[in-house]
Amino acid sequence: MGKIFGRYLKGDRTIWLVVFFLSAISLLAVYSSTGTLAYKYYGGNTSHFLLKQLGFLIFSLVVVFIAHLISYKVYYPFSTLLMGISIPLLLFTLVFGTQLNEASRWIEIPGLGITLQSSDVAKFSLVLYVAKVLSQYQKEPINLKQLTFKLMLPIALICVLILPANFSTAVLVGITCWLLMFVGRVKLRHLLGFTGVGAMALAILILVALQFNTIKRVHTWKTRIESFASSENDESNYQVEQSKIAIATGGIFGKGPGKSTQRNFLPHPYSDFIYSIIVEEYGWIGAIGIIMLYMILLYRAALIVKKSKRTFPALLAFGLALLIVLQAFVNMAVAVNLIPVTGQPLPLVSMGGTSLFFSSAAFGIILSISRTQSKKELFDGEEPVEDNN
Amino acid sequence: MSLKLQTDRHFVVSGIVVLVLLTIVIKLFYIQVIDSRYKFSAQNNVLRYVTQYPVRGLIYDRNGKLLVSNKVVYDLLVVKRLVKSFDTTEFANLLDISTDQVREAFTSLKKQRGYSSRKAMVLLKQLPVDVCNRFREQLFRYPGFELQPRTVRKYERHIAAHMLGYVGEVDENTINNNSYYQLGDYIGISGLEKTYEKELRGKKGVNIYMVDVHNRIKGPYENGKFDSVAVEGKNLETTIDADLQEYGEKLMVNKIGSIVAIDPKTGEVLAMVTSPSYDPSLLVGRERAQNFMQLQTDSLKPIFNRSIMALYPPGSTFKVVNALIGLQEGIVHPYTQYSCAGGYTVGRGVGCHIHRSPINLTEAIEMSCNTYFCHVFRNIIDNPEYGSVEEGLNVWRKHVESFGYGHKLGIDLPNELGGIVPSTSFYDKYFRKGGWSSLTIISLAIGQGELSATPLQMANLVSTIANRGYYLTPHIVKSIGDSLSIDEKFSQMHRTTIDSVWYNYVIEGMDMAVNCEPGGGGTARIAALPNIRICGKTGTSQNPHGKDHSVFFAFAPKDDPKIAISVYVENAGFGATWAAPIASLMIEKYLTDSISRPYLENYILQANLLNRRGKTK
Repeated sequence: MGKIFGRYLKGDRTIWLVVFFLSAISLLAVYSSTGTLAYKYYGGNTSHFLLKQLGFLIFSLVVVFIAHLISYKVYYPFSTLLMGISIPLLLFTLVFGTQLNEASRWIEIPGLGITLQSSDVAKFSLVLYVAKVLSQYQKEPINLKQLTFKLMLPIALICVLILPANFSTAVLVGITCWLLMFVGRVKLRHLLGFTGVGAMALAILILVALQFNTIKRVHTWKTRIESFASSENDESNYQVEQSKIAIATGGIFGKGPGKSTQRNFLPHPYSDFIYSIIVEEYGWIGAIGIIMLYMILLYRAALIVKKSKRTFPALLAFGLALLIVLQAFVNMAVAVNLIPVTGQPLPLVSMGGTSLFFSSAAFGIILSISRTQSKKELFDGEEPVEDNN
Repeated sequence: MSLKLQTDRHFVVSGIVVLVLLTIVIKLFYIQVIDSRYKFSAQNNVLRYVTQYPVRGLIYDRNGKLLVSNKVVYDLLVVKRLVKSFDTTEFANLLDISTDQVREAFTSLKKQRGYSSRKAMVLLKQLPVDVCNRFREQLFRYPGFELQPRTVRKYERHIAAHMLGYVGEVDENTINNNSYYQLGDYIGISGLEKTYEKELRGKKGVNIYMVDVHNRIKGPYENGKFDSVAVEGKNLETTIDADLQEYGEKLMVNKIGSIVAIDPKTGEVLAMVTSPSYDPSLLVGRERAQNFMQLQTDSLKPIFNRSIMALYPPGSTFKVVNALIGLQEGIVHPYTQYSCAGGYTVGRGVGCHIHRSPINLTEAIEMSCNTYFCHVFRNIIDNPEYGSVEEGLNVWRKHVESFGYGHKLGIDLPNELGGIVPSTSFYDKYFRKGGWSSLTIISLAIGQGELSATPLQMANLVSTIANRGYYLTPHIVKSIGDSLSIDEKFSQMHRTTIDSVWYNYVIEGMDMAVNCEPGGGGTARIAALPNIRICGKTGTSQNPHGKDHSVFFAFAPKDDPKIAISVYVENAGFGATWAAPIASLMIEKYLTDSISRPYLENYILQANLLNRRGKTK
């Protein structure tokens, strides 16, 4: 192992281990939870989804591997360009995208038959862009005008474009950017000021949207929030109810791998509610384990920020880590009914193409940054980062 | 470049993240360990528990006549998801209800506790058999609907509503406190149905089926290994004589009050009439709620079980108790004479009717002389042996309570009241300590004042006298199921504090009250029967509601008592006018199963004594 790490897998070993563990869990959980799908569409051929997910995971590991070899500096000049691509892409999706649960989130890449969730591209680009802009304003603090035009407006634009199709992703991206700016030394009073403006805009938007109840998506949000707020045993609470049953029957040690029964009752047990299935099969221990893996990722990212002598890679690594970790938390929070139902996959664990691709890319970039960093630090005569966790 | 500020800030960010995390972990722990609800629901996903409702036990009278049985009705269940659109009018016609009722049923369906469109929920309750047979033929046209048989009470004779009680659906409170009951189960709410709920209800069974994700039954779970069979409820054999009960209720029509008849040798209640009453079958089926409301708002309170809950002043019937206490305490001798010239004149005074004078104790009971018992009562309370009025009242009270007054007797019916026997502390509070004397409380001498008892207690008192000094706790159930034994407390003998020898003098007085020569002064000669020696005591008790209550209690035959009875008619007038003839008819009916005095019967049947409230004599 040590040799492999030293020779081929460079960068933070702990983060590599996180990637491997999450992939392994993903394979087990997806295989277990796709049973019903397999019977429904593939005549009981359960290995179909096993092989499919295995393929996805090998692909994603390749992505991580390649991304971690590419120097982060490559992204720096591209970030503005990526933003330029994201905006028309989002617009295109809004208008022509494939409808899934009445949310146009997906576009098909012609010829390849691959669907792409444009918000994944957009949030990735945005974090890159914000990291870049912030790194330009470290010596002299950013002033209000620059802040407004260079950061706030682009962020707002992306969020608003994501919002109609995917409310929770918009909020998630917004929070990530906010935290990134907070770490990136934007004045707190400016940040709070913009937060206030943003919140008011959002409130007005929701009020207006509620007037036009004809927009089906608005209706979905409304019922989801209503069913979250009411304690009634309603049909629309079915998912949450079944999710809680899964969690409750898991107990401390769980039912054991592949022994979930709730997978037959939970809608999307392989993506949105995969956390519930993991808790059911691996118990409280498994639940804490998953949380710990994401926490370790965040901790290692924070170490990169601490050690880094440059701002761009530090902010990029932290931003990407935040993106992953926050999304994981949203997925878990839905499973335990802390927030209304929303479809955020569990990064690197849930079944699915683009989400997996972008999570892997994010991991790869973080690893790339840590690789460069540790090399340099070695060069400076410092100790390499040790994995003690 | 300085990253100092940055690091500070990133700790803030990490802090927030850790906080979010902790919330998730706590919530997980809550769902897994603290909240046990979801563990049970897990099984409900794959297993469907179909309850097998047992048949409720039957209730018989003392001669094996059926009082309460069961009939089958059906609840209409619906699995909302499976329902296809249908013609509401046709559906309503088929079920013999209005289209509005159908719509209303569907709207309220969703408000039910634990509603799910995948589960069978009750849409309409207690549909009669003929309607359901018609509907079943068409059931194939209505996917998602099914009929579930339930049994409800059927009353073979429309009597004894208060005593039998009624059955209804369990309330939320009971479900939360008793794991046996589930939503929609039936439970005894009052009367025998409540007391003997455990015996009558039997035990529910359950059939467990495997269901698929769409809640379709796939077959029995583990070949029915865990199924349990419903156990029928046990039958009750009561002590009631259905014919006597029915006759009593007939006599009490258009009168307010109560009749309680007891077999003194066993404490078995032969009849317990409360009037006004209602037909027990009103509280069965779909109209139950509506009928109940109507009964509840009736100004004559037909639901109120007067026999065990009404607190009446016992009036002159209580004189026998004071006589016995006086004899036991040596304050009065059977031949002690007092003269009476129209009343007791000390203090405020107590009036009396005209009779010969002077008289001894037996005659005083025969003629119900107020003056005599004022003397006796004051001598008890003021007996110098006790040292004080307070101690005197304590001695008196102890004796009174030994007759079953002032506390619940413990009959096998819910909500029995215990009546009131005033204590020293009561008077200390009412007047002030030392502010009262035997003269202040002189009303107790003639069963008035702060004294009150239920009709059951009065019947029990006369039963005690018939037994010459003891009683067995009155009870209504003789045997449960196949076992012949009932609660031991019903075969326990309760002795009074009065020696049995003294009873003969009192009984002599009660005998003479009924059976004296014409012109002898007996107050209850109207109750006399040629072949049966009835011993009785009248009472005419004053009350703040209007005309005096008419009271009479008696037992018969004198030498071998088979029935002890108390009759209480509210605001009717003299005890001898109404209560005594009613008791006499009841005794004759029970002992001879015939009525020899149709004129007396007619006189009672035709009397309407309802509207005498608020009028003074």
